[in-house]
Amino acid sequence: MIVVVGLSHRSAPIEVRERLVLEAETLPDFLRELVARPEVGEALLVSTCNRVELVAAGRAGFDSNLSEVAKICVGALAVRAPGIEQHLYAHVGGAAVRHLFRVAASLDSMVVGEPQILGQVKDAYELARRVGTVGSVLHRTLPRAIRAAKRVRTETAIGNGQVSVPSVAVDLTRQIFGDLSGHVALLVGSGEMAEAVARLLKVAGAAIVVVGRTLARAEELAQTVGGKARPWTDLKQAVTDADVIVTSTSAPHHVIDYELVNSARRARRGKNQFFIDLAVPRDVDPKIEELDGAFLYNIDDLSKVVAETLSTRSREAASAEAIVGHEAEGYDRWADAEQATPTIVALRERLAAALEAEMNKSFRGRLKHLSADDRAAVAKMLESSVNRLLHQPTIRLRQAALERASEMLSLDQLSSAINELFAFDAESEAASAPDNVPPESDPPAPSDPNLALPSRARAVGSRR
Amino acid sequence: MVDVATIAFYLGVVAYSVAATLFFLDLARKDGSTIRAQWAPRVLAIAGILHAVHVVTASMFSRVCPIDSLHFALSFTALIAVGAYLLLRERFRLYALGAFVAPIALMFLIGAQFVGKESEAVAGVSRTLLTFHIAANVLGIGLFLIAGAAGSVYLVQERRLRQKKRVANWSSRLPPLDSLDRITHRLLLAGFPLLTFGVVTGAVFTHQLTSEGSTDVLRSLLGYSTWVLLAAVLLLRRTSGFRGRKTAYGTIAGVVCVLLVVLIYAVRAGGGSS
Repeated sequence: MIVVVGLSHRSAPIEVRERLVLEAETLPDFLRELVARPEVGEALLVSTCNRVELVAAGRAGFDSNLSEVAKICVGALAVRAPGIEQHLYAHVGGAAVRHLFRVAASLDSMVVGEPQILGQVKDAYELARRVGTVGSVLHRTLPRAIRAAKRVRTETAIGNGQVSVPSVAVDLTRQIFGDLSGHVALLVGSGEMAEAVARLLKVAGAAIVVVGRTLARAEELAQTVGGKARPWTDLKQAVTDADVIVTSTSAPHHVIDYELVNSARRARRGKNQFFIDLAVPRDVDPKIEELDGAFLYNIDDLSKVVAETLSTRSREAASAEAIVGHEAEGYDRWADAEQATPTIVALRERLAAALEAEMNKSFRGRLKHLSADDRAAVAKMLESSVNRLLHQPTIRLRQAALERASEMLSLDQLSSAINELFAFDAESEAASAPDNVPPESDPPAPSDPNLALPSRARAVGSRR
Repeated sequence: MVDVATIAFYLGVVAYSVAATLFFLDLARKDGSTIRAQWAPRVLAIAGILHAVHVVTASMFSRVCPIDSLHFALSFTALIAVGAYLLLRERFRLYALGAFVAPIALMFLIGAQFVGKESEAVAGVSRTLLTFHIAANVLGIGLFLIAGAAGSVYLVQERRLRQKKRVANWSSRLPPLDSLDRITHRLLLAGFPLLTFGVVTGAVFTHQLTSEGSTDVLRSLLGYSTWVLLAAVLLLRRTSGFRGRKTAYGTIAGVVCVLLVVLIYAVRAGGGSS
């Protein structure tokens, strides 16, 4: 199991969050230092503008002391930004898994359903893989978190629509004009929201023209948004030339009236125009909506679209939570079944070793006349026998791991029995005695991370 | 051969039905899944291939050139509409238009079964000219069908944007208004010379034939009306900026006239063949 330690917009204000910044260049070293600790085996860091979270697993895989791992992670983050401890949270075990799944599925985001977080989680995983700080536990956990997030995105409407007024305005512009390259967007007046809309339109490919009461201010704004400025006296022509008109002046009356739009429409030979009126009082005469090809959305209309999207997303969040819950339960079952793996591996190794020893003895004695092919056939037969012999015990052990509350013997009881019968404890104690400490070399890593058995004494019969 | 044609026909009907269902389900979807949107055009393409196999094998079996017979001509028209849609859908982002094209193709494929497969050769009329007449009409009607579908979607999309209702989650489902307007205009431009040729050659045939029934007169009148209507749509766009909603209405009216002409043909041929 894993731990998740960090802070987010839910636990820390921006003043705190901005103190805990881990630059991309220093991140690999940070992760390497963390997994160099004897208790921490695996780690990755999810860092966005709204959260910094360490996801870690203990060195002993599923049998690690997760509280200790969590403490180390808290310390590692607190060193980077002293005084943030009170804002840090730590999720351990199943709670950590659920939290990670919710984060990846964008259910814990400031804007629920935003699509960036999944990419950020994937990036964090990829970086940790490159750095070499993920192992068998995180290799199993992160793909499941990503799968849960993908299910949420495809099976619910949580990511549909736009949730800010500027992005809704640009989305509507696209519904009218499609590709915006080659189209002209006119910005009349200034204002933060109008500026944001202009920036997004520019990114979408539109050419930006700014008209302001004072040319100097218009030029300044044009420079900011990457457009061209025109004097106020050019307003009529600018409206005629523009496909999208964003207005945000402080004028107490309509700056763009029916007559202006009607004459522009005639000059434009009926081409569509989209008016985005962000001003209060309104800049654009609402009567222009009667004209063919003139579309008008004011700030209320745009806000209603945002509200509609948010309402849809909050409805969909319930379905998304159910998917995350289902995926987390699947993870729990898998993790439970993994508890039996060390015992199963030890049992198989013991039987395989015993049979191999006897087989080799026979090959040197009474069966020495066998050809290489015959020997291979005998070896294959014995291997099949081991598999057949252990089939039922393997199933029973995995069932015991999954069905904690059943009437059957618990995994601990079964493992203890096997441990006792095969004397694994005595063997592991002997192996860990000072006299038996092998020379300084790591044991060969098993090729299958599933079968990783850090030590028999720890593996057999122990629970997380 | 006839078995291949029959199997291709039934599989084509199933594939068109599945494609239409997928297009409609994608339009009505409430989740973020793109699977239906990905599979709908693929299934439509498969349906088109099966349709083509049916037309080719059935015409070979009947020993009738597909262009000479109203039965195959009707079927061929739908095939052209499907081909045109599949070719243009990416360029003009006409994704949702499949919800119109697939049912229309299905309707034509099934409808053609009620029309005789005999050659349309008429005594006293040049066979070559008749072949060109039917070919031009088939191609033109195929293009007008897509134009009519694009015009219909334009009206739906425009109404939705004007009413400002349910605009939040539909951005990727219906094509942009400008794309719909542009494709309607281009298809009209492409189909109009073919329609003109069809009307002119039709007028020549009418002049050559001595006996005209009331349906022939009605058909001729509808043909001329269609030509005048679509000519007006194109001319007014050129001279007075007549576009958008007005173009959509004009195009739909023109396509309805075209379909009525086809219906008269079909009823007459169906009556004759029964």
